[in-house]
Amino acid sequence: MFLRIISESVWRNPRRKLVMLAALALGVMVATATLNVLFSAGDRLAREFRSFGANVLVVPQDDTLALEIPTGRDFRPVEEGAYLRVADLPKLKTIFWRNNILGFAPILSLPVEARGERLVAVGTWFEETLLLADGTTMRTGVRRTNPWWDARGDWPVDGAPECLLGISLARRWGVQPGESLEVGAPGGPDGVGAVWKVTGILSTGGGEDEQIIAPLAQVERLAPAHRGEARQVLVSALVKPEDDFARRDPRSMNAVDYDRWYCTPYVSSIAHQIEEALPGSEARPIRRVAESEGVILTRVRMLMLLITAAALVAAALTVSSTTASMMLERQKEIGLMKALGAANRDAARLLVVEMAVVALAGGAIGYGGGILLAQAIGRSVFGAAVEPKMVLFPLVLGIAVAVAVAGSLLPVARALRTEPAAVLRGE
Amino acid sequence: MFWRLLERSVAHGRGRWAVALLALLVIAALCSALGNVYLDVSRKLTREFRAYGANIVIAGTGVAGGQTLLEDSALAAVPEDGNRIIARAPFLYVVAGVGTARVIVAGTWLDRMSGLSPWWKVVPPGGIKSRDDLRQCLIGEAVAHQWNLAPGQAIELRHRGRTARLTVAGIITAGGSEDSQIFVNLPVAQGLADLPGKIGLIQVSASGTPQQLEGLVAGLRHRLPDADVKPVRQVAVAEGQLLHRIRWMLAATTLAILVVVTLCVAATMTGMAFERRYDIGVMKALGAGEGTVVRLFMVEAASMALAGGLAGYGLGLVLAAWLGRQVFHTGFEARWIVFPFVLAVSLLVALVGTIFPVRLLQRMHPAAILRGE
Repeated sequence: MFLRIISESVWRNPRRKLVMLAALALGVMVATATLNVLFSAGDRLAREFRSFGANVLVVPQDDTLALEIPTGRDFRPVEEGAYLRVADLPKLKTIFWRNNILGFAPILSLPVEARGERLVAVGTWFEETLLLADGTTMRTGVRRTNPWWDARGDWPVDGAPECLLGISLARRWGVQPGESLEVGAPGGPDGVGAVWKVTGILSTGGGEDEQIIAPLAQVERLAPAHRGEARQVLVSALVKPEDDFARRDPRSMNAVDYDRWYCTPYVSSIAHQIEEALPGSEARPIRRVAESEGVILTRVRMLMLLITAAALVAAALTVSSTTASMMLERQKEIGLMKALGAANRDAARLLVVEMAVVALAGGAIGYGGGILLAQAIGRSVFGAAVEPKMVLFPLVLGIAVAVAVAGSLLPVARALRTEPAAVLRGE
Repeated sequence: MFWRLLERSVAHGRGRWAVALLALLVIAALCSALGNVYLDVSRKLTREFRAYGANIVIAGTGVAGGQTLLEDSALAAVPEDGNRIIARAPFLYVVAGVGTARVIVAGTWLDRMSGLSPWWKVVPPGGIKSRDDLRQCLIGEAVAHQWNLAPGQAIELRHRGRTARLTVAGIITAGGSEDSQIFVNLPVAQGLADLPGKIGLIQVSASGTPQQLEGLVAGLRHRLPDADVKPVRQVAVAEGQLLHRIRWMLAATTLAILVVVTLCVAATMTGMAFERRYDIGVMKALGAGEGTVVRLFMVEAASMALAGGLAGYGLGLVLAAWLGRQVFHTGFEARWIVFPFVLAVSLLVALVGTIFPVRLLQRMHPAAILRGE
């Protein structure tokens, strides 16, 4: 009997139901879309922050003090200090967080002589294809770790006798892309030199403006004693911003905490795993990049969270007010039911269940619309669709029903309290 | 008569009025809050991005002893105004000897380091507060490790026969080249290198959108024609890209929220107008003209919109201020342009949501309405 009344009632007065359905669907659409964007925005943004470049610096454990100044000069002789083995680098893709290692580049800097000046040549990978332990290949190099490097001209091909010339040097010497450059290694065996074709001019605003950047294999030839070695390795990893837990000293953690720290992609735990993988290495977070990313990302996430919360509250209020306004007009029905002898509980239950049914239908439609809206936002902002989180579906639907019912409760309660005759009269 | 009808309408439909007012209040508050937040977020974010430190570098042109030099008078061209230029400091590098080894000594203004390099971790915290302190220095982590130095110990720097004796005031962990350097105040480095009045470069941390920074760089180039003023691409380029991305994300989300909630409120208003069809039927049956009915509803809707819009705007400002404090720890600047926008949206929603069903209903025959069709 109850079900029959409900089903008949739902189909009666379709215009009113349609309006309510529309309002409910729209409210749920806002909730779904904002929640979906919120959950995926964090990950997307973290990836965007990698345009600031490498956030971990790997140096040999037994290294001596670096003697380079930000203007590009390096005063440390080649023989001084320790080196890392370039052949070990594929091990970086075997650590626990291997999928978070987006790129790395070995750096071998050498004092050289060119055009009568003493300066630094930096040997590295530009876009080297690396064979990994599991048989897959990976393209990595400074184009990953230093994405802001802008070369006017072409990039050198890895291994070829080509190079990038720092813009300050290019200006001073009047060199254009396509010209050749003779480079000699002072202090090396006599006659060790190279001729490189300048394929592009590099402008960074940093020390590279006064340096020559060449493929690692080419720079190695100028210092054969250090073939297969690198002074440092830059690593760009996808990390989670540090919180108070991450800042604790891992050596002071108990086993459970240590596991949790190890299994969270903090920059400190990834650095620790890199040290485990590369023998004789010391890995440090590049605080300038890592800390700043953490601060800004946290702020933006909080902003998104609060905006989402405001949108959810607004959606809930508008849905409630819609159901309340609909219910206000149906107070006469309650009066009629009571006059016919219905118990308070039955009359209320009838209307509320009907409301819940409409809310479920509206919620389902709204959820679908919300997913589409979230995809549209994701595609326009990040150029990639946002993955819908299906776990939200029952949650959103449940909240929609709860909010819709909550809105209708006040008018229903008021109608139940008043005498049927008064309600029917229209007071 | 008109006003009496209006008054009775309000008195009778208190519940209905309250609900409509709430819906309009919500939309106005949301418009106001989100509008203010979005318009000001650029300014807030560009300030946050100063966490990355210097984004402009001013160096000398030409070669001189391995380090191009500037006169320290160039600093006068870069005033620190706290608004655009957040921090700036000169740097002079000297390769000094400590014992039998060598180390890079950076002469700068040690009181500006917290602004220029906020990511430094200095132990003990505090660093050196004055740029005239010629007795103390800050040393990088690797330097401390190399020579087993702790705060309070003395260190002697030598360069070409000149010496400087300093006390270690703190150890820097920077996760970069600074870990291998010793930081002193500028006069100490100038003394060691015998380069009075000279500096190697100026680092500047400036806040602003990419266009504003370009303008700043151009202005500095104009004021310092003999220097090489260049943006630090690592910071400037990435910041520009990210700023654009974040703003677009906020814009898209805000727009989506506002459009959908507006539609939702419009649906509510439409539903409510339909619910009053008996009122319209009775009015028409009693002989009310077409214009009267529409005008009555329009004035009702407009007054609801104004009341809700004003209250909502105020509420939205409070919300935006609270949001700003929670996230950025500073308030949000209210933009006056949001006010007419909020009122316009409220009026639009209320009027469109009411007029459309009212016009539809009042074309119907009163008898048909009263019968319940």
